[in-house]
Amino acid sequence: MAASTSTSGLPTRKGLDGGSGDRRDGGLRGRLRPRAPEAAPMSGPMRAVGAERLFNRVALGVLIALALLWLVPLVWAFATSVRSADEIATDPTAWWSGSPTFEAYEDLLTGGKLPYWYVNSFITSALTTLLTVLTASLAAFALSRLRFRYRKPAFLLLLAGLMVPPQVLMIPQFLALQSTGMLNTYWAVVLPQVPNVVAVFVFKQFFDGIPEELTEAARADGASWLRTYWQIVMPLSKPAISAVTIFVFVWAWNNFLWPLLVVTDPEMMTLPVGLTSVQDAFGIPQAQLMASAVLGGVPLLTVFLLFQRRIVEGIAGTGLK
Amino acid sequence: MATTAPTSTAAPPGPERPGGRGGGGGKGRRAGLPGTRADRWTAPGMLAPFGFFYLVFLIGPLLYLLVAGFFNTSLVKGGLGDWVGLDNYARALSTEEFWASLWHSVWFTVLTTVPLVVLALVLALLTDRFSRGRWFFRLAFFAPFVLPSSVISLMFMWIFADQIGLAQSWAKFFGSDSPPSWLGDPDWAMISIAAATVWWTIGFNFVIYLAALQEIPRDVHEAAALDGAGPWQRIRHIVVPMLGRATTLVTVLQLVASLKVFDQIYMMTGGGPDRATEPALLYVYNTGFTEGRVGYASTVSLVLFVMILLISLVWFALVRRAEKES
Amino acid sequence: MRDRPPLPGTPLGGPPPAGSRTAPTRRALLRAAGALGATAAAGGALSGCGTAIGQGFTGDSGPASLLNFWNPFTGGDGARMVEMERDYRKRHPDVDLKATTFVWGDPYYTKLTLATLGDRPPQVAITHLSKIPTLAGAGLLREIGDDELAAHGMGADRFDQRAWRKAHYDGALRAIPLDTHPFVLYVRTDIAKKAGLTGSGGELADVDGPEQFLDALRAAKEVTGAWGCSIASTKDPSTCFRLFWSLYRQLGGRLLADEGAKVVIDMEAAGEAFAYIRRLTQEKLVPTGVDSPGAITLLTSGQAGFLMDGVWQILAVQDSKVAFDMLPFPRIFRDAPYACHADSHGLVLPKAPSPDAQRADRSLEFIRSLLDASDAWAGGGHIPAWLPTQESEAYRKLEPQAHYAAASDGAAYDPGAWYSGAGSSLHNRLGDVCASVLGGRTTPTRGAARIREELRELAATPSPL
Repeated sequence: MAASTSTSGLPTRKGLDGGSGDRRDGGLRGRLRPRAPEAAPMSGPMRAVGAERLFNRVALGVLIALALLWLVPLVWAFATSVRSADEIATDPTAWWSGSPTFEAYEDLLTGGKLPYWYVNSFITSALTTLLTVLTASLAAFALSRLRFRYRKPAFLLLLAGLMVPPQVLMIPQFLALQSTGMLNTYWAVVLPQVPNVVAVFVFKQFFDGIPEELTEAARADGASWLRTYWQIVMPLSKPAISAVTIFVFVWAWNNFLWPLLVVTDPEMMTLPVGLTSVQDAFGIPQAQLMASAVLGGVPLLTVFLLFQRRIVEGIAGTGLK
Repeated sequence: MATTAPTSTAAPPGPERPGGRGGGGGKGRRAGLPGTRADRWTAPGMLAPFGFFYLVFLIGPLLYLLVAGFFNTSLVKGGLGDWVGLDNYARALSTEEFWASLWHSVWFTVLTTVPLVVLALVLALLTDRFSRGRWFFRLAFFAPFVLPSSVISLMFMWIFADQIGLAQSWAKFFGSDSPPSWLGDPDWAMISIAAATVWWTIGFNFVIYLAALQEIPRDVHEAAALDGAGPWQRIRHIVVPMLGRATTLVTVLQLVASLKVFDQIYMMTGGGPDRATEPALLYVYNTGFTEGRVGYASTVSLVLFVMILLISLVWFALVRRAEKES
Repeated sequence: MRDRPPLPGTPLGGPPPAGSRTAPTRRALLRAAGALGATAAAGGALSGCGTAIGQGFTGDSGPASLLNFWNPFTGGDGARMVEMERDYRKRHPDVDLKATTFVWGDPYYTKLTLATLGDRPPQVAITHLSKIPTLAGAGLLREIGDDELAAHGMGADRFDQRAWRKAHYDGALRAIPLDTHPFVLYVRTDIAKKAGLTGSGGELADVDGPEQFLDALRAAKEVTGAWGCSIASTKDPSTCFRLFWSLYRQLGGRLLADEGAKVVIDMEAAGEAFAYIRRLTQEKLVPTGVDSPGAITLLTSGQAGFLMDGVWQILAVQDSKVAFDMLPFPRIFRDAPYACHADSHGLVLPKAPSPDAQRADRSLEFIRSLLDASDAWAGGGHIPAWLPTQESEAYRKLEPQAHYAAASDGAAYDPGAWYSGAGSSLHNRLGDVCASVLGGRTTPTRGAARIREELRELAATPSPL
């Protein structure tokens, strides 16, 4: 395990991001360059080279076709969102609009509750993330650095938590929050999402890799454990913090079932819940539905584009543990 | 905001302080742990905040499920209600609806897991051959994964709409005179939802496979190419076998995730038509919150939990065995 | 399904210095994101989300001027309701009326239940009167006292008596009836005329009776060249249930007794009702596999001469500017008094945690204003329960509304049970069976047996009330 994590920092991983190391290769610059044959031209029978080329061509064709297919729903949703109701009625499956209009977007952003949902989603996701990062890293620090009596049982108890899918607990969690009168507040959305066992393990794994000498030195200087955690270990753990932050934020933002249960007030809803719970009183305006889908998707697509590498590496990391 | 709080307090010691990078520095951890009285409450104190949430929202609820399953607890009456012994279990096991909902979860899992693993592998294998332009494929295949389920549902309800939807018009284009009502036909509804789900989540598996492919040393490819192995042989006999670990991981994560399906079905069909798409979790939601039968729904939740648990345990066993072998 | 917990691996796993390579750009980005978020939150607070954010943290029920109103009107009636709300706002500028429309059916009632249990119900909500036993039985509805009613001029004598009785539970009034909305027959008058189905005065000939109705559909089919009549049979179990229930009630059948604890199905009648339903599609007079918008489109585009649907589709049909009329659902069978499926909308006051949050007086004032706007509401198809409107000259002259007003006398409400009512399990299960019979996937006799099975299962379920 340890071996694979340490290699993950090596340059080979950079290939994941587009292989900047290959860029100097002359003739094929700016085009999709097959990578595998870099060995083939050296020797290998001619037949193999031909097969290689054919295979690559077919592969590229298939890939591009599928990638375009994958973009269809997104593009069609956007195309529909800028068409007028009349246009949609006459030709529902057209791809482009004769006279694009952003009316649907205007209606949603000025008349609807969408702005509330954005704010609610942001507040609840940010709070969830903040509390998760703090509690999980603190617990992970204790498990990584401190030796105490019930360390092993505590660790096992935590490990068991990995196997509990929170969705099956929706009934008792709901009742617990109902009994405290916290339903329909941000707290109801946030608190049950805080105990994130995976986050603890991510932090613990990272902390384990921080050299012992650093913390020992701080301890020798008379720093308390809490201070060591806050002033030595956390500042060194930015990669772990940012990974957990992005993932918890995205996950909290996208959570549907839980906010659906605990938030019923239309102005308290999060974006995913509001989008499909609250209806328009005027039938089914397709352009508006698709505009709301686009507006619902934009924040996280932006996050994705900003942190693409981090997100992809984070997911990739699960496979290499 | 959450992210800036910890980072902005970067303290004097500074992150660039050179640590003992090489060597076996990390191994001496146990040496420096003092057990003084002042430290006695440090560990419990540091575990407490997380532990509190963990106990209140994970362990406590789990125990509640165990208990409430023996009562006819009602959502609207409060309290536990009356003791009914094993009635809820007997009722669940003898109710067709319960088995049907489990079957729907399993059916959905089969419909999604197979393409999500196989197609993701194929896409990753193909993409791995190209270093330029990879960002485009990654964007196309992965971007949907970050979207909320409601956005997916809105988009696909429009695509699968009767008469005016894209799916029916494409089916007509490809020669079907009267394409089925994708979400309205009991035989097609689950397949349609599964298709939307594959579109939505394939990016996750794709990225894991892509990363696993990066881990395969270049010289493996080169050696095989020198031996005259064609691209197809290399993929079949060398690359795919080396992805065993990633495949196990992807499959089990997928199984567990698919068994918990709720969102898109709740929004796209609500479990219909003719209850043909009601998965286990929606059954829990319906019996517990729509009908208010909390005791019974607790029983169903527990059964579902045990099912998912068993699958996770099988996974751990598999991984452990694989690790011992290697 | 994607509802995975986040599973980030440590991205650069190794010792910290490795991570610091990319730190500056990342840090800058994170900061930018944080700043953006903060600005967004601040901007939101300034533009009026402020109180909402405060409530989000404290769970407060909002200022006293706030009146939340929930309804499930997404059809043409929704547009009418919006007009009525606008009127109310104009006359009560001191009240901050916030109206929200939710998806009809179970999701709406679940939301209403959870909101009331969560101490944040709307002050006023629409419910179907068929749901009163379930909601009131669960203790979610505040009783409305006679003195309160009198204070707002809403005496019992001013309401349609059938609806008024349905609004009671346990001897107390739990809802104020707004309307009755029967299952009716839409007719394309131009097609009917061409099919020779109209009399001298342009009125539709007698279509009552099993053969007469089928003959009428055949004649219409001749003209349209496609279908005689359309009905929503996919993704709409409630409409299918309404068809079955109308026919079954005309045969005198009952389904449940003892508030849903006992099944008293008349298998012969159920079989007969289903056999008739199957004939509609077997003879290709009615299409299968059409959803609700599709069924309306068939009528408005002239591919069907008739449509069986609820009265609330009136605006959708009117919008298409075709010649049409609406009649009570035909009297197919004569074994029992005339019956057609119907339900009523009522206005309820969900129980709030405190009088302060309940705002009962203001709520009743709002309800009264909606009743006073009953003529506008009638425009959306519903038969007003408010007698001053129902008995008015203007309503009697309202076309085509007045043509089916008599249907409310045959109103057959859903059978009484905790699992029954609009959009309930009973609707869904029985409607699905009916759709299956309509589509020819289940035989009529098997359909009746399936209904009995479904009902027995529902009846055997211990009531959570």
